This record gives sequence, C-alpha cells and structure tokens, in this order.
Amino acid sequence: MSVSLVSVLFVGAVLIALGAFIAAWKRDLTTAVTGLPVMFAGAGIMFVGVARWGAASGAPLIGQEVAVLLAIAALSAVGLGVALAGRESSR
Amino acid sequence: MDSLHAIGFYVSAALAGVGGVLLAFLNAHWNRGVALAITGLGVAGVYASLSAGFAAVVVLVCYAACALLVARPDYRTVELAVGSVWRQVGAVGAAVLFAALAYAAFRGQFAHATFTGYEPGGFKVGAFGSVAVARLLFTHDALATEAIGAVVLVALVGAAVFWRRERPRDEREGRR
Repeated sequence: MSVSLVSVLFVGAVLIALGAFIAAWKRDLTTAVTGLPVMFAGAGIMFVGVARWGAASGAPLIGQEVAVLLAIAALSAVGLGVALAGRESSR
Repeated sequence: MDSLHAIGFYVSAALAGVGGVLLAFLNAHWNRGVALAITGLGVAGVYASLSAGFAAVVVLVCYAACALLVARPDYRTVELAVGSVWRQVGAVGAAVLFAALAYAAFRGQFAHATFTGYEPGGFKVGAFGSVAVARLLFTHDALATEAIGAVVLVALVGAAVFWRRERPRDEREGRR
C-alpha cells in the first residue's frame, strides 16, 4: 500500500466538491458557511501534497505554509458567519 | 512512504470524508459541530501522514475552534431565500467540479519526485517542521502572513460587532 500524488489530489478533490455541495445545498446560512472549511481543507491537502511530491525546484514547505494560512482563514470565515447569523435572544 | 503512514493517510482521508458527509446532512447545531471536528481530525491526520506536523497541529486547533463555534446552541437559524432549482443547480455544479478535479488528479500521475525530508539547500526540515514553516511565514512570505492577519482582524471585529446585536424574539417573529 502506498500513497501517491494522485491519491492526495483525489482526496483534496473530494473535500473541495463536498464543501461546494454543502455551501450550495444547505438553506441555513451558518451551515452553508461550514462548507468553507471543508473546501479550504481540500485545497490545503492539495497544496501539501504538491509541495511534498512536486516541489523539485522551490521550497517544499510552501504548501504547508499555505495550508496553515488556509486553516486560519477558515476559522475567520466560520466565526464571521456565525456572528452574522446573530445571537438568539433568551427572552 | 511506509505502510503505516499509508494506512494513516487513507484512514484519515476516510474520516475527513465521513465528517464532510455528516456535515452536509445533519441539522442540529451540536451534531454539525461534531461533524466539523471529525473533518478537522481527519485533515490533521492526512497532514501528519504527509510529514506536515506543524500544519496538522494548526488545523486541529482551528477546526476544533470552528466546531465549538458551530456547536453553540444560541445562534439564530437564517434561512436563505434561494429557490430549490438553484440549490439543485449548485449541487450539480459541485458534482461537475468534482469530476473536473478528479480528472486533473488522475492526470497528475506524471509527478514521480520523492520527498526526502530536506530542503534543496540541505537544511533539515524534520517531521514537524515548525521552525522551517515559521521561517517561511515571517521572512519569505511575510506579506501573505500579514494579509491573513488583516483578514482575521477584520473578521474578529465584524464578529464582535454583529454578535453584540441581540435581536428580541418579538422582532424576529414579526418579520416572519
């Protein structure tokens, strides 16, 4: 059993498409926003995989760097989405 | 990559996929939070099996925070006024996107480079790689890091402003 660049890109494709499906299909704003972290996770996996297998000339860590930045951006997007939905009153 | 790492990669990928599917079809706040946490755990496992330990830790922390936010019981449910036809078009578009990306992934089999754990200059990266990634973040790509920092700042300020506006129940009901 081995892992190749094709496997990594395929997993990333599944997550990106799944995130796009969640964002398009769900009626609720906050649920639709949760599609963004899934899409960003897929993109991050692709970046890390390409950096690991395909970085012949550049720095191989550039993909990990982008994955870190995408995770932080995903957290920001979810936080802003939940806050935009607003707080339920207890009254 | 040895068999242990390969098994870890595929198990983690399956975990991330299952979490994403659960996220798409579960409705309760708590269940969605758990599904997002499962997705984050799977993605972190994928990163760890690809020798991206620092990214795995960051993803674990960020997605745990996302899960806690989504699992909160006290935010409102905002229904978007989008017709069923457009939602179905979006779902079909996601399927087309998956087909295109899967084809592109299949065509990526030309790459046969092997990862040695070292940068081209001979600098040892290691399995975790936090120092090397931090060096990239704060020296080579400082502008991108500052841009993400600005995005986080704007998101936090916006979230604080919107979260402070508590909408009374009668106003919400009058709107329906």
